[in-house]
Amino acid sequence: MLTSRDTIVAIATPPGRGGIGIIRVSGDATKAVARKLLGRTPKPRYARYTDFVGVDGSVLDQGIALFYPAPKSFTGEDVLELQGHGGPVILDLIMKEILALNVRMARPGEFSERAFLNDKIDLAQAEAIADLIDSASQQAARGAMASLQGVFSRRIEEMVESLISLRTYVEACIDFPEEEIDFLTDGKVLLRLDDILGQLAKVLNDAVQGALLREGMTVVLAGKPNVGKSSLLNQLSGKDSAIVTATAGTTRDLLREYVHLDGMPLHLVDTAGLRRGTGEIELEGIRRAWQEIERADRVLLLVDASESDELRPEKVMPEFVERLPNLDNLTVVRNKVDLIADEALLKKELLSSEVISVSAKTGFGIDKLKQHLKSCMGFSALGEGQFTARRRHLDALEKARDYIAEGRTQLIDTEAGDLLAENLRLAQLALTEITGEFTPEDLLGRIFSTFCVGK
Amino acid sequence: MKDQQFDVIVVGGGHAGTEAAAASARMGCRTLLLTQNIETLGQMSCNPAIGGIGKSHLVKEIDALGGVMALATDRAGIHFRILNSRKGPAVRATRAQTDRLLYKQAIRYHLENQPCLTLCQQTVDDLVVEKDRVVGVVTQMGLKFYAESTVLTVGTFLGGIIHIGLESHAGGRAGDPPSNRLADRLRELPFRVDRLKTGTPPRIDGRTVDFTVMEIQPGDTPEPVMSYMGSAADHPQQIPCHITHTNEKTHDIIRRGLDRSPLFTGVIDGTGPRYCPSIEDKIIRFSDKTSHQIFVEPEGLTTTEIYPNGLSTSLPLDVQQDLIRSIKGFERAVICRPGYAIEYDYFDPRDLKYSLETRHLKSLFFAGQINGTTGYEEAGAQGLLAGINAARASRQQDPWYPRRDEGYLGVLIDDLITLGTTEPYRMFTSRAEYRLILRQDNADRRLTETGRSLGLIEDARWQSFCNKRDAIEARKQKLAGHWIQPGGVVAENLNTLVENPISRAYNLLELLKRPRLHVTELLKVSGLNWPGDEINEQVEIDVKYEGYISRQAEEVERLQRQENTRLPKDIVYQDISGLSAEVRQKLEQVKPFTLGQASRISGVTPAAVSLLLIHLKKNAGRKQLKSA
Repeated sequence: MLTSRDTIVAIATPPGRGGIGIIRVSGDATKAVARKLLGRTPKPRYARYTDFVGVDGSVLDQGIALFYPAPKSFTGEDVLELQGHGGPVILDLIMKEILALNVRMARPGEFSERAFLNDKIDLAQAEAIADLIDSASQQAARGAMASLQGVFSRRIEEMVESLISLRTYVEACIDFPEEEIDFLTDGKVLLRLDDILGQLAKVLNDAVQGALLREGMTVVLAGKPNVGKSSLLNQLSGKDSAIVTATAGTTRDLLREYVHLDGMPLHLVDTAGLRRGTGEIELEGIRRAWQEIERADRVLLLVDASESDELRPEKVMPEFVERLPNLDNLTVVRNKVDLIADEALLKKELLSSEVISVSAKTGFGIDKLKQHLKSCMGFSALGEGQFTARRRHLDALEKARDYIAEGRTQLIDTEAGDLLAENLRLAQLALTEITGEFTPEDLLGRIFSTFCVGK
Repeated sequence: MKDQQFDVIVVGGGHAGTEAAAASARMGCRTLLLTQNIETLGQMSCNPAIGGIGKSHLVKEIDALGGVMALATDRAGIHFRILNSRKGPAVRATRAQTDRLLYKQAIRYHLENQPCLTLCQQTVDDLVVEKDRVVGVVTQMGLKFYAESTVLTVGTFLGGIIHIGLESHAGGRAGDPPSNRLADRLRELPFRVDRLKTGTPPRIDGRTVDFTVMEIQPGDTPEPVMSYMGSAADHPQQIPCHITHTNEKTHDIIRRGLDRSPLFTGVIDGTGPRYCPSIEDKIIRFSDKTSHQIFVEPEGLTTTEIYPNGLSTSLPLDVQQDLIRSIKGFERAVICRPGYAIEYDYFDPRDLKYSLETRHLKSLFFAGQINGTTGYEEAGAQGLLAGINAARASRQQDPWYPRRDEGYLGVLIDDLITLGTTEPYRMFTSRAEYRLILRQDNADRRLTETGRSLGLIEDARWQSFCNKRDAIEARKQKLAGHWIQPGGVVAENLNTLVENPISRAYNLLELLKRPRLHVTELLKVSGLNWPGDEINEQVEIDVKYEGYISRQAEEVERLQRQENTRLPKDIVYQDISGLSAEVRQKLEQVKPFTLGQASRISGVTPAAVSLLLIHLKKNAGRKQLKSA
């Protein structure tokens, strides 16, 4: 019989030497692989200590074999897991044996893809697996686990349920007018629309937090040379990564640091001081600095508080502000406030809402700066059941919200029942994109290509 | 008249048969219509009305392709209304109460004046089959007729059994015999057959009804028109309908009679329609409702017979009598025909192709209730398509059928052959995902050009269509070319009509996008002048719905690739690993023609569709390797 889906194999443990190395096989030829290598198909879901034998009869390794017959496996297909010794040479030997048995190497994410295709998990859950593996903080890992367990999917499904029930009402009014329900004026639809919009706003808010938890924010430190950008980087990261000297123009290339604030990843970028360049290397550094500034979620414009009393950004560094694509994500940070001798001046400065005053040297104001960064991303304390989310989920939620809001306007402005019904249909389509029910296949490909091999 | 040869034979003279025969003959095929009784051509066996939500959409599409139903409705309609008038143009529908006799006359007139069409009164008993192909029919008298294509539109006549109370007898409709020999013959062929049921209410003598205590429901003014070629001047005299209600006493009578109901004693096993239940069904299922609405509809201008819509029942006659008399206005009412339920054979429409040709026998087409639908409009729509494709097949031309985004016709056919049906299938606007595009007001703009190229549209209709199409374009151009500057007197007049006063120059087409602003007002303000008519309506809908319509068009575009991906005939779903047993079974049952069709089978998940796609890609790769 032709098997229409290939059997795939991959090493599931990280490359290099390790105590244990795991090889995973999934597909129709799995049993055949087991018989060749182990001499039999192991009893389902029992750990079995056994020899792994090559085609020439030689023992390649010894270890635990686990067999999960379809459909009760991660992928929904027959799955074999071989746990051997974690040396790259041994694992390669076993892989070679298996690949000779009409089995091919798995593509990145292919095991999860099959789990999705076989209806073992929905799309949001499949993404959560990747997020769990990639999570950089405890909070992010907890969030990814919540998504994997279906917390996010369930909240989407609840909303889809509300939408379907509202659609049912509206469609019934359209197709059975003799039932004498005037849905355009009876007020019920408006109440339920507002209810769904409220539900959506809550989920969207949580999803924004969830996406921040996963993706975090990029903060670029910019300013004239020698205002203390590198010192601030070191202070924020708690490390001594950037070279700090009194010489202007010490930092020439970009320097990146990674920390997290209460679970939110913070990507810090230190840049070369902006001035009329004095050499090829520095010019290139400045060019790169601008590239980062344009992409940043937040730009911290550092000024030396001991040199200038200006608080307004356009006064602090007019040529910089002019070139900035978006003024809204700019914060002026006055560094070196420890050098200000005039107490009255300092008091006035600290009361200003426009600037944040810090001392990278003493650590003064750093907590306030962190608080400021969290609040400008809208990142708040994480509640129970916080899940991770991705940009594509936010897009879908926003689309759904806009469709429903548009339908609401149609209902109020033109009493157009057919348009309201269409908006509700589109909103449902948008929401079900998240769990993968209506996802176009090219999207699938993109999603799965970001997985790591073996999962 | 022995052993005659035709291009197309149509068996059955109901709403499917007449449209099929008329379409085939319009296309110039020598067509024979065989009916048990020429007197019943175009007979309305159930309620005396054409159109309604979702249904008038079909009627207007039939009309846009040159069919007869809408024309006959304008000749026979005695009460016209627009339903859902306030809920938006996409769900607006026209409904006409019709005079049964005038309707039959109009249909017969059309058929008798249709060149290429022969009418013949014969009961068909058998098909002439050569190998896997139907080449003709045999009648009860033993006459044989041969044709390239044969269309069966035998309605509820196959194995029809009529139930009134616990009594039952064979019948195709009250007063007509069933077609049992043909039913037996078809059951021998490899079609999947099942039973459905439908019912009608008792008819009442209008002279015994007190209309003065009922709510009166007049038709709309101006009188709506059904056909694009029709006008209110075609309509006969208009008369009103009435509304009354059932009450607790009625419901008690029905509950007491249930022990003699064929529905509730298990005598009937066919499935009835959920949306058009019998009154006994309604009382059981909605037991908390103390009253149901009854539309009291006249059967015609020259008869006193009344059709009490909403009282379909198969209870025994004495119960029918009692329940009728418990209703306000019916206290002295006399039943002139009892209500009844009818059970009949239908063929699983999943055994059909998009052309309505059967998969098992070539050159044989099925249309109408035989495919599990209910309603004149659904029957007529299928008849038209079967007629077109029977004619095309007789000339070895490829089939033609509209897509789901082109017409309710497309939705109907795709639903039938993809989903099958377990209850009588009725059209609703919610079945159409591209509802905003598929309106009753633009059926001609969607289909008439195609109809013309298919040979269905005669010159007069074509000319009228072209005039309309050009006028819409011309008016749009004029509106787009007329500007209103802010500040002037014209702008001041305009600002009294809109919420936000204009602050820059606008042309009239842009202004039309604003809510509650209509062409007539813009004409008044601007000084432009042309008649207020349906052309304005088209311009307005085009402009106001533009955003939505283009969004739907994009959706259609996106899904087009799936629709165009054909599934090989010999695909073996068992061999595709990953498909669940349930999905495999469903795919085997339907045997979809395209990936798009497969995606619409209920229970076939998007993941399953991806698996199919992977399988197709891989097989295509293999084939390339082999041929290389």
